[in-house]
Amino acid sequence: MASSYPSRPMISPDISAAAVPGSVRFLGKRRDYWRLLVRGGALLMVTLGIYRFWLATDVRRFLWSNTEVAGESLEYTGTPFELLIGFLMAIAILIPIYAAIFLAALDLGIVGKLSGMLGFVLLALLGQYASYRARRYRLTRTIFRGLRFHQDGSAWRYAFCALFWWTMTTITLGLAYPWQQSRLERFKMRNTYYGDLAGSFEGSAFRLFLRGLPMWLLVVGPLVLAAGALIETVDWLALANVAQQGGDDVFARLEGASPGFGRAIVFAMLMAGVAVFAFALLYPAFQAMVLRWWTSGLRFGDIEVRSQLRTWHIYRAYFRFLWIAILFSIVVSVAAIPAAMLIGSVGDANSSIGKEILATGILLVGYVIVALGYSTIYGATVKLSLWQLGVESLQLSGLAALDRVTATGGPSSALGEGLADALHVGGY
Amino acid sequence: MTGDGIFFDGITSTRQNVTVTLAGAGLQIMAADGRLLAEWPYHELEELNSPDKVLRLGRHGNAVLARLEILNPTFAAAIDLRADNVDRTGLTQRRQRAGVVGWTVAATASLLVVGYFAVPVIAERATPLIPNAIERKLGEAVDIKLRGMLDTQKSGTAFECGGGAREKAGRAAIEKLVGRLQDAAALPSALQVVVVRRNQANAVALPGSKIYVFDGLIAKADNPDEVAGVIAHEIGHIAHRDGTRSVLQASGLSFLFGIMFGDFVGGGAAVLAAKSVLQSSYTRNVEAAADSYGVALMQKAGGNARALGTMLGKIGGATEPGMKILLDHPETKARIAAINKLAPARATKPMLDAGEWTALKRICAG
Repeated sequence: MASSYPSRPMISPDISAAAVPGSVRFLGKRRDYWRLLVRGGALLMVTLGIYRFWLATDVRRFLWSNTEVAGESLEYTGTPFELLIGFLMAIAILIPIYAAIFLAALDLGIVGKLSGMLGFVLLALLGQYASYRARRYRLTRTIFRGLRFHQDGSAWRYAFCALFWWTMTTITLGLAYPWQQSRLERFKMRNTYYGDLAGSFEGSAFRLFLRGLPMWLLVVGPLVLAAGALIETVDWLALANVAQQGGDDVFARLEGASPGFGRAIVFAMLMAGVAVFAFALLYPAFQAMVLRWWTSGLRFGDIEVRSQLRTWHIYRAYFRFLWIAILFSIVVSVAAIPAAMLIGSVGDANSSIGKEILATGILLVGYVIVALGYSTIYGATVKLSLWQLGVESLQLSGLAALDRVTATGGPSSALGEGLADALHVGGY
Repeated sequence: MTGDGIFFDGITSTRQNVTVTLAGAGLQIMAADGRLLAEWPYHELEELNSPDKVLRLGRHGNAVLARLEILNPTFAAAIDLRADNVDRTGLTQRRQRAGVVGWTVAATASLLVVGYFAVPVIAERATPLIPNAIERKLGEAVDIKLRGMLDTQKSGTAFECGGGAREKAGRAAIEKLVGRLQDAAALPSALQVVVVRRNQANAVALPGSKIYVFDGLIAKADNPDEVAGVIAHEIGHIAHRDGTRSVLQASGLSFLFGIMFGDFVGGGAAVLAAKSVLQSSYTRNVEAAADSYGVALMQKAGGNARALGTMLGKIGGATEPGMKILLDHPETKARIAAINKLAPARATKPMLDAGEWTALKRICAG
């Protein structure tokens, strides 16, 4: 057989359409992703969640392999069994910790009183540790042009750093967020390598701060006004007195003690409403802004990244989510009518335990279907779009460096993934 | 047979256009200048994660991540045919996943069976093994949590009744009532019955030997035997160590359900529901046992054993959830019928005289 096959057949335009140098493309079809998520969701339900390791691996294989950088697609080499083992390792570590927190809560002294706080701090720290280790797992399972990505750096140092910056962001009502992001991203990227090509992060926190400030004012401003109005009108001494006395006419006596209190409450509620509305309206724009800022700051050696992400594309993704979610809600409501009739008959005095178990089962399955349905719709619309738009908006320069990279680093364990999963701090 | 491919040697990121020859035992990968770059046996070939239209190959178990990419579908099919581990239909994958799904369903079934049958039995066996000292500690911890929930801390009044000057007589009355029950019960450690300021008609037994009787219960009772009947029921819980057992059962269920399963969207609710239905099924039997203990104790103490039933008739109903499977007590009607069956109607003297009863009614008068 002396047949010979050329590398560029006519029938695969996706591959043969020569990629613009420096561009990043996403080859995945939305329909395939839908199928993957819907099937995964159904199996999640049947297996009570165990299937999540397989689903997470499928999702990553889809996203990675369909992301093409400079004409060559990424490769994900992680397996579901690694994730499962990582999860079991996490369980082995977490059970004693949970038991210790539980025992501490039973303590009658100071330890018992502080146990909630200590437990929260410990678990938050562990969550950050896990997310750093999980990133390391994902990177070392990412292969590009036959070379592995990898990540160094102490996960504990990262965890303490992250906890510090989260605290700062909370205290400043979000104003420290740009610095948190840039410091943590710098930490991560400084320790990230593609082969022997070292990563870094050049995003400027101050720039993000300036861009985000108007949004922050629109969301937090009304809340500050509301708090101000309350502090202004309320006679705090009277409030303390009234609260101490208790009784049924608290409000009337408060109004008496500080006139205008009722109006202040109405104003505060109105302002809170404005803040929530502004938040919902601005969130996609915020996400686009941070994504653009973040990707534009990424560096690998001489390779620089520039993002031209359009804000309205992110809005479009959310709108797609909204209308599919509404459609789904209507379908579910219609399907629920017969089930509701059955459940409605359960309250009778003469209904049997068997019928009750059936009704409860239907209710539960219905609830799980609805919850999984929304999360699937969100995954197939917003999450996929964020990945796709994020990737497609990138312009790379300095790609000549790609031809001279050599291999370093080995695979890491999936412990971080397992911990992150058990602590509910997972990423992609 | 030969075809074109793209080769990465796994040592550098350099992209090489190569010619691949399908030899007898494996692939021969040749550079454009005719140099032999690598020779991969068919049985070591491994298919890797790639876009739909690319066959990406590696060598199984090779620490160097060399990659060969084939873009031509016909040539890819020819390689697929020769290499056993390259399976582009995904059959092996599907079989593996079917195994995971099938065994998980089996594990869930076994979990529910263990949860329903084995956990109560284990808790039953383990409860007597817990020393009294630990039970008391547990009771103290539960006490703190419970007081935190119950004590509304209205200024000026104590949570516990019977401390004030005008409440002394009421305290003596409850002590007499409890004394008669305690003598009849002959428990290993002394009971601690405390009347507290709460409007609900209820009483609670903690792990150990403490019982809270709510003020609202005394207000609703028409005679001392009705109060005594409820206390006797709660003594039943203490004698059977139900509080400790329920802590063991709850921990057992949390262990079974909380750790391995339910870690997906909506799963938390499913687990919670399964747990509360199972837990309610445990306590329904426990309550029936405490009822019959209470009846026997009242008879021994010379009180009206049916008073518990009449009291239940007054307080039941209002607090019951709509569904039987969520009920932690058996249905009130069934309980009263069971109590009346155990206790023959008999005329007895009230357990407190009229003066003491009036005093007990005023134990929380302040």
